[in-house]
Amino acid sequence: MIETFYLANGLNTPAGFLAAFLIGLAFGFVLEQAGFGSSRRIAGVFYFTDLRVIKVMFSALVTAALGLAYLQVFGLLGPENVHYSPTVLGAQAVGGLIFGVGFAMSGWCPGTSAVGMASGRLDAAVFLASAILGSLVFNELYPALKPLYGWGGQGVRLVHQSLGLGRTGFILVLTLAAVAVFQAVERIDRWRAQAPQGAGTGRRSLSLALVILALGLVVAPTPRPLKATAAPAAEPGLRAVSEAELLAAVAQAADHIEPEELAQRLLAGEPGLTLIDLRTPAEYQTFHLPGAVNLALPELDSFLRTTRPQGLVVLYSNGMTHPAQARDALQRMGHRNVYILTDGLKGFMERCLKPVSLRTEPLQPGLAEKVRAWRAFFLQPAGAKEKPSPAAEGATDLKAPGLAPTDWLAANLGREGIRLVDLRDQASYNQGHIPGSIRLDLESLRGAVRGVPSMLLPARLLAGQMSLLGLGPTDLVVLITDSKPRDATLFGLALERLGHLRYLILEGGSIRWTAERRPWDQKLPMVEVSAYPVPAQEDGFTVGFEEVLAASREKGTIILDVRPADYFKGLKSDEARAGHIPGAVNRPFQEDLTESGGQTVFKPLAELEKAYAGLIPAKDAPVIVHCRTGHQASQTWFVLKRLLGYTRVKWYDAGWTEWAAREELPVEK
Amino acid sequence: MEKKVKEPLNPYLAGVLLGLVLLASYVVLGAGLGASGGLTRLAAALELVLAPEHTLGSAYFGSYGTTPLSYYLVFMLLGVFLGGLFSALTSGRFSAGLEKGAAFPAWGRIGLAAGGGLLVGFASRLARGCTSGQALTGGAQLLTGSLVFLVCMFASGYALAWLFRRQWRD
Repeated sequence: MIETFYLANGLNTPAGFLAAFLIGLAFGFVLEQAGFGSSRRIAGVFYFTDLRVIKVMFSALVTAALGLAYLQVFGLLGPENVHYSPTVLGAQAVGGLIFGVGFAMSGWCPGTSAVGMASGRLDAAVFLASAILGSLVFNELYPALKPLYGWGGQGVRLVHQSLGLGRTGFILVLTLAAVAVFQAVERIDRWRAQAPQGAGTGRRSLSLALVILALGLVVAPTPRPLKATAAPAAEPGLRAVSEAELLAAVAQAADHIEPEELAQRLLAGEPGLTLIDLRTPAEYQTFHLPGAVNLALPELDSFLRTTRPQGLVVLYSNGMTHPAQARDALQRMGHRNVYILTDGLKGFMERCLKPVSLRTEPLQPGLAEKVRAWRAFFLQPAGAKEKPSPAAEGATDLKAPGLAPTDWLAANLGREGIRLVDLRDQASYNQGHIPGSIRLDLESLRGAVRGVPSMLLPARLLAGQMSLLGLGPTDLVVLITDSKPRDATLFGLALERLGHLRYLILEGGSIRWTAERRPWDQKLPMVEVSAYPVPAQEDGFTVGFEEVLAASREKGTIILDVRPADYFKGLKSDEARAGHIPGAVNRPFQEDLTESGGQTVFKPLAELEKAYAGLIPAKDAPVIVHCRTGHQASQTWFVLKRLLGYTRVKWYDAGWTEWAAREELPVEK
Repeated sequence: MEKKVKEPLNPYLAGVLLGLVLLASYVVLGAGLGASGGLTRLAAALELVLAPEHTLGSAYFGSYGTTPLSYYLVFMLLGVFLGGLFSALTSGRFSAGLEKGAAFPAWGRIGLAAGGGLLVGFASRLARGCTSGQALTGGAQLLTGSLVFLVCMFASGYALAWLFRRQWRD
């Protein structure tokens, strides 16, 4: 894999500029040598007086396509280190049609006109100035053109996929087509008897060379990295990791998961978590962590390939050596999200399951309760422990955190372990609600923290609220709103802060539920106050302004400002200062929603997927979302992290409220 | 320019060389060639000077931020110009003037060049690239949209070229 400027995120650095400049020099030189400093010669293609545009373009296209294919065969280039632009069929077809008219009218295109201007041509200079004006016109009309600009968007799309052909087969067809075109073009030249002398030389040798190269692809070995020729979105996860990345991850201990965290995740019944026990079958039989699969090292790769886990994969053995070696090998093969258990199973026993009474070291606050919960969960008799919660049977078909269709909730209403929280206002709740739901005022989860208003409360206080609602860590919580999914996602973040991942958001909310004439009553449910445990760790997704500032300076992280566009642009402001964080990208949270028949729902996943693929380069790219108070951004966080599977999404809760008020922080307008 | 005017390079050889430059661009930059990308940055920079508030507030140019020229394709475009200049000077093909058929008025040719530029500048934005960035770069990557662009571009060019034929008549 070649470290391109694109891969290193260095296209827009001084070194990238120099490289682009040098390539530009060669590009301009070749264009001029090809005779493209003359509009008359270029326009000749349209009148069959000089067909060199076709000869040059097609031989260049096929040469580069073949070269690229060979580089891919050898695993040197692929969608990871080369930019592939998305296909937007409608926009590109209409754009192509308009472009062709302008091209025939002027005899220039942008690249050749730069060369034409360098050759002293006045018409090229006029063309260039006009083309700049044309971009300006596009910018001014952009708001109205937006639907056309996105018309037919399909993400990265390769033509052989579109046609249902193999890549090698398509390249062979393309090469043969080019050879045929060259021959036809020569025939036209001869027929018009206008061909410049010697114009046909080289055709046969080039045709022969291209066909041989194309045939060579058919017999070329196709090593594994060739998978990368498919659209990146279609092959999530399998991106081989470089040694440098591997070492960096090891250095940052990003390859470990702490026993306490694993225990908490298992207790919460995290969906998609794959646990692999690397010990001998005999040891596995005696005891294993619930849900673990017993595999030998050589089986790992094929197991992960066939099961394609979407969530975390945790390897454990007694110690750490084998899992660490296995993890590194798996990462090299392109399996991401593989972690090893810090201190192995021995450490897990010692740190999570050792009874409190036997511990000599001082206990962290809250740990004693957790150890009790863990012991109860992990040390149950065999058979009982494979099911994390009574609700699991009914809920196995749904991915939590995620969305719950009304049908599913209707079928599971009243089932033990499923709890309903209604986040609408008090009056609406009093008039009627889904049977068994408890109302909570969302504001009871927020307050001033270190002087910043409207912050999601610390875990300790949130656990208190959950206890008042009678929730337990293994409950499957279904969240109900009317037309504001962001209320549910903010509650979702409160649960996530507690390490509680078993929650669902009711699709279409109370409005769809009532429109479908489903059960509805005015009773208050009986709730017993519980003792929701307080997690010891930070939530791992909330960031402060320091981290945002660093991200804004370094540029590697995408800062998504989800406020409405007017606020982002600084045209409106309710805070100390107007504008946005330097380098932030605006994606208003409402754009993730759609409304029909009064029901507000998330847009179809494919649509969201496409929209965010245009903003965030990869599923594991670091992203920070923020809004004014953290409320709207909770929705974008949920969309990215829980619906679309972005892995490194952080939430700047304090948001613009804090940023605008801290005068030392930079603001861009 | 005392030098003899050389005929342009054999088109197939020029094509292979162009293909190799494009390959080098993939390998070194991790991105293909592009010309209109640089032009649109120039447009944004120009508008930024004339109406900064408006430009930064616009949905399209606004995303370029306050330094639209800090973009690799701007530097590539500069390279294209200088590379072309070097080649034109050394081959004796540099000649100042308006290129047109002898029988066609100068203002007409300027009008067509300006009109074509306007359409091409606009269409390059709509299609997210031009002959270099879309047709060649994306075409060699076998991207569906790029090849559709290429076909559409030649289709409308051939369909309407007849209307513009008189500018080349001697």
